[in-house]
Amino acid sequence: MIHRRSRRVAAVLISGALVAAACGGDDGDEPEAESTPTEVEAEPEATDADEPATSDEPETGGDDPPPSTAAPLEDADQITSEGEGSDDASLEPVPGGEITWGLTNDGTGFDTTGAVAPGSIRIISALNDSLAGLDIEGNWVPNLAQSIEPNDDYTVWTITTRPGVVFHDGEPVDGPAVAANLNAFKASPTAGFSFAPVTSITAVDDSTVEIVMSSPWAQFPQSLVSQAGWMVSPSTIGTNDTFIGTGPFMLESWTPGDGARIVKNPNYWRADEGLPYLDAVNFKFLPDQTVRRQAFDAGDLQGYLSPGDEDIVDFLEDDDVDVWIGTAGANEYLWLLNTTAPPFDDIRVRRAMAHAIDKQFIIDNFRSGLTTPANGPWNPSSKFYSENDYPQFDPAAAQALVDEYEAEVGPIEFELSIEPNPSVIEVAEVMMSFLADVGIEGSLKEIGQGQSAITALQDDYQAFSWFQFGAPDPDREYTFFHSSGGLLNWSNLVSADIDAGFDKGRVNVDEDIRREGYAQVLKALGDEVPMLWVDHLNGVEAVVTIPELHGIGVSLTLPDGSPALAMTDGAFFAWTGAWIEQ
Amino acid sequence: MMYIKRVVRLVFVFLVVTFFTFWLLDQGKSDLLAAKAGLNATPENVAQIKTELGLDGSFVSRYLEWLGNALTFDFGDSIVTNGFSSWELIRESLPKTLELMVLAEIIAITIAVPLAIASARRPGSWIDKWSSSGAFGLLALPSFVLGIYLSFVFGVKLGWFPTIVDDLPGLNDDPFDNLRQMLLPSVTLGLNLVAVYLRLLRSDLIETLQEDYVMLAQARGLSERRIMWRHVLRPSSLNFTTAVGLNVAGLVGGAFIVEVLFGINGMGRLVIQRVVLQDFEVVAAVVALLTVAYVTLNFLVDILYSILDPRIRHGAR
Repeated sequence: MIHRRSRRVAAVLISGALVAAACGGDDGDEPEAESTPTEVEAEPEATDADEPATSDEPETGGDDPPPSTAAPLEDADQITSEGEGSDDASLEPVPGGEITWGLTNDGTGFDTTGAVAPGSIRIISALNDSLAGLDIEGNWVPNLAQSIEPNDDYTVWTITTRPGVVFHDGEPVDGPAVAANLNAFKASPTAGFSFAPVTSITAVDDSTVEIVMSSPWAQFPQSLVSQAGWMVSPSTIGTNDTFIGTGPFMLESWTPGDGARIVKNPNYWRADEGLPYLDAVNFKFLPDQTVRRQAFDAGDLQGYLSPGDEDIVDFLEDDDVDVWIGTAGANEYLWLLNTTAPPFDDIRVRRAMAHAIDKQFIIDNFRSGLTTPANGPWNPSSKFYSENDYPQFDPAAAQALVDEYEAEVGPIEFELSIEPNPSVIEVAEVMMSFLADVGIEGSLKEIGQGQSAITALQDDYQAFSWFQFGAPDPDREYTFFHSSGGLLNWSNLVSADIDAGFDKGRVNVDEDIRREGYAQVLKALGDEVPMLWVDHLNGVEAVVTIPELHGIGVSLTLPDGSPALAMTDGAFFAWTGAWIEQ
Repeated sequence: MMYIKRVVRLVFVFLVVTFFTFWLLDQGKSDLLAAKAGLNATPENVAQIKTELGLDGSFVSRYLEWLGNALTFDFGDSIVTNGFSSWELIRESLPKTLELMVLAEIIAITIAVPLAIASARRPGSWIDKWSSSGAFGLLALPSFVLGIYLSFVFGVKLGWFPTIVDDLPGLNDDPFDNLRQMLLPSVTLGLNLVAVYLRLLRSDLIETLQEDYVMLAQARGLSERRIMWRHVLRPSSLNFTTAVGLNVAGLVGGAFIVEVLFGINGMGRLVIQRVVLQDFEVVAAVVALLTVAYVTLNFLVDILYSILDPRIRHGAR
């Protein structure tokens, strides 16, 4: 017991020392003070076994809609609150100028019918407008499409294109172009699963596309907010080395492993609103956190995503830096458990693991207290969030379950598949030390970067270190939990309650009924534990910018005049409205 | 004849290295096929893609085909970054790494040679002591620490140089901006070499200075400068030349850290990145090219030996 705890303390100390070394002599601030031995050693004892800390709970939880903007925050206490709002509204946007933006992940290409890497998505967010967008409550609204209308029972949807909109190459965004894109998505072996209920997609005429479903799908347009709704010029569908879309910027060049340069689209369909403001954005791939920080401090970058928890704390105290925290759509960190393979085919082992891990310890020591404990795929700020009975930290309960299992079956050993990211491995090792405390022995199995999806789809794993979920509307998670999701039902759990809950959410438009359905899902996930939830990452999926750069993370108006949800999915922020003081 | 034997030996080394590289590449083929086939791949799909990729046939025949294509710089397509060939990715990275290596060597040689001569002329003098201490200090300082500090001081605090290399212009297009961006990374890489070059050259110079013909030259009244530069430096440069030759190829590995620190899309970063991504086609191509570079450089160093010291050439006869 002492040995395992010492390992956790050592891991935290090493982590703190490395960060301190990397930031050594930077600006006199002391973020590493969070990792002092005294605080760290006291933490496990101070954590209540049954009650996750609530002091950091978002103020916008429960039924409240998510806030409309991601705001620059003045101090850490406001990290999960709405913030003070932006000063941007008082300033008049100025057109012109260009910026350099740091990328954490490299893009692997722009094929919208394939599995798109996070680095590519960051760039695509400036090159593309989706057919549907999200309003500030997370509801879908037409965006690039002029209208998206269902029939009475939601088995047929009709998309009407917006007149006069053209792709970057001048081709019209018409019915045949939209149908070609959606059909290519449906046919995709990697992405097409999520279009399973779609039986046909037909261009009825030059401006209308009809989508027929095998069963009612009331929330179908939610899928058009992200990848399925990205439209590219028909001649480039399936092309990986270029992106000819409809967005405010056009791809000028892309060098794999280095970055991309995008320039203003003079024919943007919202150009009469003066959009976009910036002339160009240089995306620079910088995999090392210290290098990104140093380049930002030197003024070589005007902003970047994912500064890391220690830097966020540091920046929050710096008046010369704006920190934008995503208020919706951030990922969760979790472990997938393959419920069809031993030892996780036994619910006692899954529940024992959930009881054994002190999530608050991880949050306090590896996230600088910026994240919140998770009990399912949705953030407490979601209107579909509800409490459940997910097992809380209780080593004694975990030990009892382990003893019972081991008496019947034998020792519990497992392999955790994980991508070679040092900071993620660090957290996984600490979680393993908690498990070892109750007699569950795990080992790491590193897999190639970018191979996670394929490995998980082949069910070639016992447990998998994973980042996903948190979509503003739970219907977008349907395939990953529903038994009909096939290979995409990650944990392979077949649960009548989960299926029924997701179906209720998919078929109905009444929000109360949908909420009931998703509460049923959350309850089943808490009882069955097909996934080991750790934390909601919305506190650390942040963006930092220089104060002269405005419009990032601020809600832009949708075509109907209503404000859009900002920083959805932790990656899509409002490039369209970004501007820099000249 | 001596050169022909060496060329044959170099070709043999190249074949052995590329053969084993290709063998490693083959081990990862099942994963690559799965990635190409997509997530719903059936055995039939996999077999079809195997044929499309030309992966049918024996291992040796595929190796020979790959080798034949490699001679025309056709190393196959990147598996991870569809739409790009391995050679396209390398072609983007190679010039930056070459420039980095050349600049680093120039900086290292420019600092090390004068210091070594000054130290050898007066062993134990203050300049000898200080240069030796400084060299060992640099040797003990890892390049990632040195790079961070140089970047912090000259980039963040003084703002003299950019901390990242971004949109690097060609040397012909804008030499000033090019060198301004490449200076800090080159210095970071070059300073680590100074210590090795300085120590090697200093000890060889001291040894040569004790030769009879040097004393004879001194007795004839030749100036110290002339003796040093005309009669001592060249025969003392064999170990130094070997080290420079070996380092040029070795720098690709060392360049990785500097390339990450300064955001340079070079060969070192490319190869590490592609290993992590399991983009084996690109990795095999880089290994093949590095092997060619390494054996060729060593061949050139051998030739240089005989120019520096004719006794080697005559001895070989």
